[in-house]
Amino acid sequence: MTTSTVPSPPARFGSAQEQDRWLARRRWARAGWLYLFMLVMSLFFIGPFLLGTVSSFKDNPNEYPPRLIIPQLTPRYISTAYNLGVQGGADGWNGGLVPGRSVSFDVSVRSPADAPQDPPAASLFPYQPQSLVALARQAQARDYAQLRTVQTGGAGEVRSYRVTVTYPPLTRQQGEVVRAKIGPQVGNDLTALLPGGQRVRVTLDTPEAQQRQFDLSETQLVELVRANGTYYLRGPVIQRTPLQVDVQRGQSIVGSTLPPSDRQNFDRSFAYRNVTPGILGYTFNNYRRAFNETTDPQSGRSLFLRWVSNSFLYALLRVVAAIVFCSLAGYALARLNFPGKGLIFILGVLFVQMVPAQVNLVSNYVLLRDLGLLNLWGLWLQGLVAAGGVFLMKQFFEGMPRELEESASIDGAGPFTTFWRVMLPQAGPALIALAITQFQGAWNDFFWPVVLLRENTNFTLTVGLSSFRQAYGGQGDYGLILAGAVLSAIPVIIVFVIFQRYFVDTGADSAVKG
Amino acid sequence: MFRKGQTATALLFLAPFLITILVFFFYAFARAIYYSFTDFNLFNDARVIGIKPYLDVLGDSLFQRALANTLVFSILVTVLQTIGSLLMAVALNNKIKGQSFFRSAWYMPSITSSVVITLIFLWLFQRRGVVNYLITQWLTYLPLILTFLGVMALVQVAQVLFERSRRLPAKWFDPALAAMSALIALAVTLGLNVLGVVGARDVQPYDFQYFSDSWLSIGGVRVLSMPLLVVVIMNTFTTIPTLMLFFLAGLQNIPAALYEAADIDGATPAQKLLRVTVPMLRPVTFYVVTISLIGTMQMFDQVAVIGSAAPQETLITLAYYVYTNTFKSGAAPVNMAAAAAIILALIILLMVFLQRRFFVAPEAQ
Repeated sequence: MTTSTVPSPPARFGSAQEQDRWLARRRWARAGWLYLFMLVMSLFFIGPFLLGTVSSFKDNPNEYPPRLIIPQLTPRYISTAYNLGVQGGADGWNGGLVPGRSVSFDVSVRSPADAPQDPPAASLFPYQPQSLVALARQAQARDYAQLRTVQTGGAGEVRSYRVTVTYPPLTRQQGEVVRAKIGPQVGNDLTALLPGGQRVRVTLDTPEAQQRQFDLSETQLVELVRANGTYYLRGPVIQRTPLQVDVQRGQSIVGSTLPPSDRQNFDRSFAYRNVTPGILGYTFNNYRRAFNETTDPQSGRSLFLRWVSNSFLYALLRVVAAIVFCSLAGYALARLNFPGKGLIFILGVLFVQMVPAQVNLVSNYVLLRDLGLLNLWGLWLQGLVAAGGVFLMKQFFEGMPRELEESASIDGAGPFTTFWRVMLPQAGPALIALAITQFQGAWNDFFWPVVLLRENTNFTLTVGLSSFRQAYGGQGDYGLILAGAVLSAIPVIIVFVIFQRYFVDTGADSAVKG
Repeated sequence: MFRKGQTATALLFLAPFLITILVFFFYAFARAIYYSFTDFNLFNDARVIGIKPYLDVLGDSLFQRALANTLVFSILVTVLQTIGSLLMAVALNNKIKGQSFFRSAWYMPSITSSVVITLIFLWLFQRRGVVNYLITQWLTYLPLILTFLGVMALVQVAQVLFERSRRLPAKWFDPALAAMSALIALAVTLGLNVLGVVGARDVQPYDFQYFSDSWLSIGGVRVLSMPLLVVVIMNTFTTIPTLMLFFLAGLQNIPAALYEAADIDGATPAQKLLRVTVPMLRPVTFYVVTISLIGTMQMFDQVAVIGSAAPQETLITLAYYVYTNTFKSGAAPVNMAAAAAIILALIILLMVFLQRRFFVAPEAQ
């Protein structure tokens, strides 16, 4: 703040001390307004990310009016979710419902004197993930679990009820319980794949188990009982237990163990998307879905995970190539004398940056298609040496003292040795800046990936996310989209926080954003 | 210094760079020019047919729309982000505590990918989304906000007049008096609200559909579509912080003596901004405008991500026109795509040339 902008008050205005106070008051007030402005602008620039992040935890990010304080981030409900997960699956993180367990869920209902006094009707409803690609059908809690509703108390108009979800095991055999995945059907027999990779025949020893023989699809996670070398089906592991509670007209639900995910039918029908969530299933459900519900039908692996690793690989390759080739080229342009140097700089560095990438789209696409390189490697090759990086390194090397090279050449070093042993080790800060801008550029790159990458297993994260939009945007499944967006922003934010000052030094490269 | 073999060494050092740009830039550039004079459709053997592709492109109503959208977008965003980033740099140039925090916070939109930001903005600008919710809230509390602002202005005027009656040199926007006015206005507004004189209104939820076929037209000519306006806001939002950094660097190079001289002459802050800061920043401004024009003319990501969520006409830009024509299902009019790309390149080069020719300050060279 420059205080000299304030004209000094007239002499009539009291003592020197009063004058100082008068000036100080204005200075403080001005600083106050400035801080207020800066805070408002910070909120403006962080706001969208903040809103998106908070909403990515919600069951329904499209809720209206939008809220910032949500149950998914409230300690009380997170610990409830943990407890319910322990009850249903012995695991407070992943939750789920496994055979032999039961979960109790409390609901309190207000029934005024003139309204029906019936207990609420509870039922389980099916849930199928709406995946990017067709996914094998998951076992549904509704087909395996039983419900019982009992009244546990009441005071005045409000009565509390306990809904117990019980999942009886399909076999009565006792023994070691193992987890396995259902394998392909062999003849009339059900097979399962043990964690060790061993394939075993599954015995269905009870009528209940036999009934389920044809319902279980491949890759379904199940629990088996091992007794006397035989594996008996104990039941599938159910990932989510969606519960619906309906009350009569005139009654209303005033409280429940977890808040409802959805209210319908004029608030008489409450849906709980998962009463055995665990922390991951409750707070981080959309994040888990991003990984789990994007399964490649051929390999059964998560596409999202694949995109993340593709993005990392591409960014890493770009960084390595830039460090080696950009510094070589930058050094040659800065320090070596040869004919055509100026021309190479103007055409190869400045002109290249000015011409839009769309001009080269057709030719590069056709070229890489003919070479069979419509994948990450083609993408990498196409942008192997970034003109902006060459420019950055040239500027840096031009600023270094010539004495370094002179002393090296007196010691008898050739140009390559001089570059490798003397100049490059000095270039640390510039190389870090180059690496960071290249990482950020590659991670955020969209135009060339969307042009060149044709198989969804080859996608980078940006292309994958935009395909999320195509697949889900219409139906408004923004939970998944926002979770994916937040996940993909995390690496660059981490890099930014660590290497902040390098970003600030070389904003030039990322300024030209598509 | 090493004399002999220096050319060979230089070429060796430059080889990867030269090969990459020769194959993927200059060869591609030449081939694009060649394709733009042929009937190439990605699957046939190209045959030269003269300037017909250019005529086809210029006659294509979608191309005309794309050209108009691109120019409107580019000019609008360049103006907005140049002014915005300059003002923000001036604000951030004040030496205050916590500057690095604000700098990082403001820089956030620049580091995340345009795809992520577009997805978040799509969600914010839904029919029942956060933006419409905030507008609804604004409309609901408008009486209170207007009361607050009105009372604040009245109190400020009264205070300044009072101070002046005591022969004190109070300015209309004196910060200390304004802080007092704000407090009084807040108290008065709260009081009136409690008394029930003014209060929140009941308004219908505002649910404007941003990604629809709605246009701002001037004299019956469709100038700017709503979806494009959203992209303008989004792009300004993401690029202001980066451009702000250039202005910040430029501001540090302005000698403090100039401001002191202006102070002695009794210049107001606005005068100092317009007469000292802006002229001294001309070289930086030139650079910022140039990269902003180059960047906005090539705008692609946002349009591609929004894709079918908005009617094609409202959002199509030249870059996206090139992309869709190259990958149109069936036989793609690649020749037209190439011609459009060449036209795009020519426009950008022309803009940069004009910029350099007419607006550059002598000290920028």
